[in-house]
Amino acid sequence: INNSYHWPTKPIRHLCLMKLWISTTHLLSFLQTITGIFLAMHYSPDISLAFSSVVHITRDVQYGWLIRNMHANGASLFFMCIYLHIGRGIYYGSYLYKETWNTGITLLLLTMATAFVGYVLPWGQMSFWGATVITNLLSAIPYVGDTLVQWIWGGFSVDNATLTRFFTFHFLLPFTIMGLTMMHLLFLHETGSNNPTGLNSNTDKIPFHPYFSYKDLLGLILNTSLPTDPSHYSSLTYCETPTTLHQPTLYPPHHMLNQNDTSYSPMQSYDQSQTNQEEYSLYNSPFSYYFKYLPYMHQNNEQPQFRPLTQILFWSLIANLLVLNMNRSATSCKIHSSSSDQYPLFFYFSKFYQSLYLLQVHSKT
Amino acid sequence: MAVRAPVSASGRLLEGFRKWYYNAAGFNKLGLMRDDTLYENDDVKAALKRLPENAYNERLFRIKRALDLSMKQQILPEEQWVKYEEDKKYLEPYLKEVIRERLEREEWDKK
Repeated sequence: INNSYHWPTKPIRHLCLMKLWISTTHLLSFLQTITGIFLAMHYSPDISLAFSSVVHITRDVQYGWLIRNMHANGASLFFMCIYLHIGRGIYYGSYLYKETWNTGITLLLLTMATAFVGYVLPWGQMSFWGATVITNLLSAIPYVGDTLVQWIWGGFSVDNATLTRFFTFHFLLPFTIMGLTMMHLLFLHETGSNNPTGLNSNTDKIPFHPYFSYKDLLGLILNTSLPTDPSHYSSLTYCETPTTLHQPTLYPPHHMLNQNDTSYSPMQSYDQSQTNQEEYSLYNSPFSYYFKYLPYMHQNNEQPQFRPLTQILFWSLIANLLVLNMNRSATSCKIHSSSSDQYPLFFYFSKFYQSLYLLQVHSKT
Repeated sequence: MAVRAPVSASGRLLEGFRKWYYNAAGFNKLGLMRDDTLYENDDVKAALKRLPENAYNERLFRIKRALDLSMKQQILPEEQWVKYEEDKKYLEPYLKEVIRERLEREEWDKK
């Protein structure tokens, strides 16, 4: 299995080694905290000052440009590592460690919440309208939806009250994430880690040094070199705050709806074209449903990585997500008229993967 | 794995597919049998305790060898791969017995 076409070259195999991603994630989390603290020293969470404080950080603060870009790009790298970590967990059946898996899902949701509120802080056009659209999703809740949204806003629209509390949440949530990460590791240490074969390896453990010490060292080297690479700081990279417009307008400019952001579900292209937010909420539920109930759908004793159909299903899911991700920034808002998006969306929403996966995990062969 | 040779065309087709699927799964290339790859839930753990000593030791050896091969990103030479016809479901009788006893116990506890 480890010599199949999934492992074409030795360097790629070593880069894909499992614990590299989570050790990188841990280091990135530390990096985000440190850069975030330094940014917080110069940031002002007020609508009349926020944007210019970010400009001040970028232009005037010593190495402020580096800290700000490391923080912004580090968040995207953080999510990429997490998605790889989750993908590994699905492929090798690590979700069978239910407590570890469930704390992991909670961590993912908290991380997404942290990234969302953090994205609002520069108070650019994308910040404002992103906050408006996503918080308005809660209005889909019957009866209390509108009241709930206004309660979160602290007013009748996204305004100063919203910005200040989002800054508070963005500062607080990472520490919650750290605490929950301890719980995640605690549960993992109850069972021990999984491995590519899925077999019980208690009889065959290896020492931390030199195997994992060198592997973690590789993660440290990659983690410190990649975020400081200046080629990532061009105007086309992540979470770019528009510099031409200082104050949010009443209506979102059309050209602003195609900015690139990797921190959320690949369905963001679909998000941006959605006018019916109830429809969006309903359609996005298969995503979380699939992750949440994966351990309970696995009803037989067989390992998913030894089942060819499960492998095909997994990689087709990944390909589908990549296609959806690529289409996000490439197309205009008229997503429904593009057949290149309709087919991937159809497969994603049709519970195609869930039903096939169910067939696999319930198979008696 | 087959107990007796299938006689009908559809049976032969199904058997051919099973054999292809067995080889495509890939665990035989690590020297594992199907029952070696079962996820160790409570039922499997209980069934393992009932295995004869020689069967358990052979299982441990196969698992240890597979873990070592997996760590080194290697597989066995082709002549050492477990063949579809040679694979024995050595754990299945004990596992069925454990599951039957558990279901009987649960049924009894409901009363």
